[in-house]
Amino acid sequence: MEPTFFQKRLRDVVAVIVVAIFMFPIAWWALSSIKPYSAIFDRSGPVYVDFTPTPDNYRVTLLGVSRVQIGMEQGGDAAGVIKGGANSYDSRQSLADSAIIAVGSTIVTLFLATLAAYCLSRMQFVGQQSFLFWILSQRFMPPIAMVIPIVFMFRDLGLRDTYLGLILVHTLINLPLAVLLLKSFFDDVPREIDEAAMIDGATRAQTFYKIVLPMVKGGIAAAAVLCFIFSWTEFLLSLFLTTEIRTVPVKISTFVTSTATEWGYITALGTSAIVPSFIFILLVQRHLVRGLTLGSLKD
Amino acid sequence: MSLKDHDKKTFIVDACNDFTAKRLTKRDFMRRMAMAGVGFSAFNAGLLGGGRKRGGLLGLGPDEAQAQDADMLKWLADVGKPYAGTKIRYTSEATPPSIVANQLVAGEFTKATGIEVEVEIVPLEQVLAKATQDVQGQLGTYDLYYLDQSWMATFSQDVIDPREYYDQNKELAMPGFDWDDFSKPLVDGIAMYNGKQCGIPFDIPIFILMYRKDLFDKHNIAVPKDLDEYLKVVQQMTEAEKGNGIFGTACQAKSGHYSLECDWTFALWGHGGSIFNKDKMFVGNDEQGVTGLKFYQELVKNSPPSATTWTWDGQGQALTQGAAAMAITWGEDFPGFDANDSKVKGLFEALPAPKEVPGRRAAADCGFNEIPAVGHQGGSAIALSQYSKNKEAAWLFMQWVCSKDVMARVSTLGGGASPMRNSSFTDPRVKEKAVVGPGTTRHFDAIKWTIDNQMGSEPDMPIWADLSNNDIPVELGKLLTGQDYNGDAKACLDAIGKIVDGKVADAGLR
Amino acid sequence: MSDAVSVERARGLALPRFLTADSPVPWLLPITAMLTVFGLYPLGYSIWLSLHKRNVLTRQLDFAGGYQWVKAFSDARMWGALETTLLYTFVALALQLVLGILIALLLDTDRRGYGVLRAMMTLPLVVPPAVTGMMFLLMQDGSFGVLSFYLYALDLVSPARPLLTQPHTALIAVMLADIWQWTPFMVLIMLAGLRSLPKDPFEAAAIDGASAVQTFFRLTLPMLRKVIAVAVLIRGVDLFRIYDYVYIITAGGPGTATETLSFYAGRIYFTGDFPYAATLSLIVLIVLIVVSNIFVRVFKVRF
Repeated sequence: MEPTFFQKRLRDVVAVIVVAIFMFPIAWWALSSIKPYSAIFDRSGPVYVDFTPTPDNYRVTLLGVSRVQIGMEQGGDAAGVIKGGANSYDSRQSLADSAIIAVGSTIVTLFLATLAAYCLSRMQFVGQQSFLFWILSQRFMPPIAMVIPIVFMFRDLGLRDTYLGLILVHTLINLPLAVLLLKSFFDDVPREIDEAAMIDGATRAQTFYKIVLPMVKGGIAAAAVLCFIFSWTEFLLSLFLTTEIRTVPVKISTFVTSTATEWGYITALGTSAIVPSFIFILLVQRHLVRGLTLGSLKD
Repeated sequence: MSLKDHDKKTFIVDACNDFTAKRLTKRDFMRRMAMAGVGFSAFNAGLLGGGRKRGGLLGLGPDEAQAQDADMLKWLADVGKPYAGTKIRYTSEATPPSIVANQLVAGEFTKATGIEVEVEIVPLEQVLAKATQDVQGQLGTYDLYYLDQSWMATFSQDVIDPREYYDQNKELAMPGFDWDDFSKPLVDGIAMYNGKQCGIPFDIPIFILMYRKDLFDKHNIAVPKDLDEYLKVVQQMTEAEKGNGIFGTACQAKSGHYSLECDWTFALWGHGGSIFNKDKMFVGNDEQGVTGLKFYQELVKNSPPSATTWTWDGQGQALTQGAAAMAITWGEDFPGFDANDSKVKGLFEALPAPKEVPGRRAAADCGFNEIPAVGHQGGSAIALSQYSKNKEAAWLFMQWVCSKDVMARVSTLGGGASPMRNSSFTDPRVKEKAVVGPGTTRHFDAIKWTIDNQMGSEPDMPIWADLSNNDIPVELGKLLTGQDYNGDAKACLDAIGKIVDGKVADAGLR
Repeated sequence: MSDAVSVERARGLALPRFLTADSPVPWLLPITAMLTVFGLYPLGYSIWLSLHKRNVLTRQLDFAGGYQWVKAFSDARMWGALETTLLYTFVALALQLVLGILIALLLDTDRRGYGVLRAMMTLPLVVPPAVTGMMFLLMQDGSFGVLSFYLYALDLVSPARPLLTQPHTALIAVMLADIWQWTPFMVLIMLAGLRSLPKDPFEAAAIDGASAVQTFFRLTLPMLRKVIAVAVLIRGVDLFRIYDYVYIITAGGPGTATETLSFYAGRIYFTGDFPYAATLSLIVLIVLIVVSNIFVRVFKVRF
């Protein structure tokens, strides 16, 4: 039964409304980042457009302009401006730190996961399901429980407050999903191709590297994006394992000071943090959707 | 250090001296600094005076702003030579002393000694978590600790007695440090545990009364003299101003947060109660205790509804936005009321808190060194870690940041944060700021009086951090939000008593 | 087939069988090593901790056998936290699942513009949970939160009792953040599932005159069974461990209304009682392992 014109339009309207509702918090958040405090804290009602936008929050967090200077520009006293504050609101280093760790852990994860996933896909062995379950169960441990042992371990290994340390930890958490995801993509590639290649004289390793791997590019892209997003947004372990390195979520949490919560800078940095991940997702969206089912579509 | 470095440092210090003595103009000074590779942030440059406004950026005359103690800097430069290039760290709450220290350190301390200081500024719970983690593993990640007075017992074995260290390391002892200058009540109340001095008092948020004089005048209300009158005034004010969206008071009653525990102890002590008795049993549920909690329940009823989700910063924000007419809370909030973007600039006055009713319980009747009084103090100290790998460098910094000069300036630059040293209270720079405006110090009299006369201190015992964060404010929160206890103050306090007594016994502290 | 044959033939080679690229070992070695070191060690250490007791005076860890476990199981607050966590998990999971399916159905069409809508739908996923928490905190604030304003206007919530201050509604407030952020995850999974369904049965049903509702319940849903199972498993595990949103929005309050087990463990951890915190975390782990095992067996989830 072909839907009527009316039904189609209704569906369109509902779809747009639903998506709009989901977009609203982000839009509100981004809007708040250009509002002066009086517009954010207006107790008489929500302020949509009735304010003069200010780029100051971004100037401080992204351009490294000092708060004090902004205070001076507004004709104020520097002393009044210093009444509360984090180390500094200049977040460019944080964005860089987060990027380094996210990219690093993505690469390491992909390396380990593709090897494991290929093997699990091609070679059957006793206890395979249990092994897979063991990998998945790494995710069950609450991060809180991991903090102390890892802090001690890192101190002994000299990994505390290093990029490498955090990369390793993020890799650990990303591996389960990456392996499962990639395995489902490898499963999609028919075994016959492997066999054909090996009959032709290729070793197992060559088959993997030269033939099969290129065929799962989409899956690798999807896994890469998920790993990147997770690492980019991870909070608890980054908080406890670093001092000088400040990833973006940790940096944002320092904007809650003992005298005030600096909503202006929080919203500005928060909005900036969304952009890179979103771009990635857009690029690989097709593969992402397919991969998330983790192969359960096969019976 | 190479000859070149030595020359450079001497050059810098000499330039500083010349500038201070007005032998150099600001522009020449800056040029020399640039030559030596020393950059100045806008802030630091402004500190040097000669800014757009008359009297420099901070309303201080050029003399005051430049009065960085040149002698001290020279001493630091000499003594700090061997340690140049080390990096020391500590983690702190974003209270004014740490923030200001952070701003000043690069331009002064680091320039003089070559020692870098990294201050990790995070919310208070994270400071505790990181310090706990550090001492558990003796990691030595942090060279100094910023310790809240309620944690002193927990960390006392991890820090070095600063006076002893001072006496034992004469070559590193800063001349003119003047230990007696520190307010004795503050040292006793914040930094001492079991006879050992654990650190140097660093900041002193303390409860005082802050009220909207304009509203009091408008309704012809007199300033309350004791807590009974205070409650009546709060209720009166809510009645009168509710229509304008203004409540009598604002509380920091966030469920499960230390701030609620602070409010509660003030109410408790203010009614003659105490947390522990001589035998180290919980007595917050005795007659005075119940009266105190009922009093607090009334205060919460007269606060904006979101008060049960606020800690001190939410409360401060409410007062600054004019949502409440008065509060007995941290004096640290006061300068914020006079900020340029504040709705209540110049409208608040500060006084010591109204008297306890019927009177204070004697400290001798309390356990664990608890000192009941209505002026609850939440001071912190800066302490030298046993596990630090750079003790000497950290010690130099610690002395610098607690020196007479820096502490006086912290009071003025740090938006009017209350001083630790007696000399700071009388320092001309501080007295000059006792006017309406950002960084005001006009509440200092109230603070000093409270420190000297009605300062209340929490018990000192190793599991206090646990009790005051995880147990007491959670049960109180259940009562205040109606999750449990049905509004029955006694039932709630009895439950708390059971938990506290149990944990104290379990830890072998009784 | 060929693998099995080559196993036989390769016996007797100079290089041990298990080291060549034909055996699983070298492929799996890196990941196994990594997970053993970074996964097994924390687990082992946590178990070790849970068997000890912290001596506050000496700060040593004394062996205490089952002390922490007895303490945990007789701790009413632990049971309360467990109950809260289960409630949170089930309700949020159910809502995310239902909404996910519905929205996926809504957006599953090749018509113009829907690609953009689907792309926008993924946006909540890339927001750091810490930021999501702050977003909702700002929107739900009792005095100036935009969400609060709407609720007051619709008379669903009274300004004297804002959303975050009431024990009954605070958990809902936290859930809102979670639902907002993770429903898109479910949507994506369901979309993938829907797109892989074969067309024939649906055409047959249409010819037979089945209504949309009938088609959905009799055809679509059963065919999506496996997809739903995996989604429920993954999301369920994450929901049970929830920490970030609670920490930022309510810190476990009001009272203990939003105190989940992970958050309770975190509190204890922050004030230094590591053995007890480890014990609580292990309880989370055990519950998850047991429940997910049952789940995998019952729903025959295969990876």
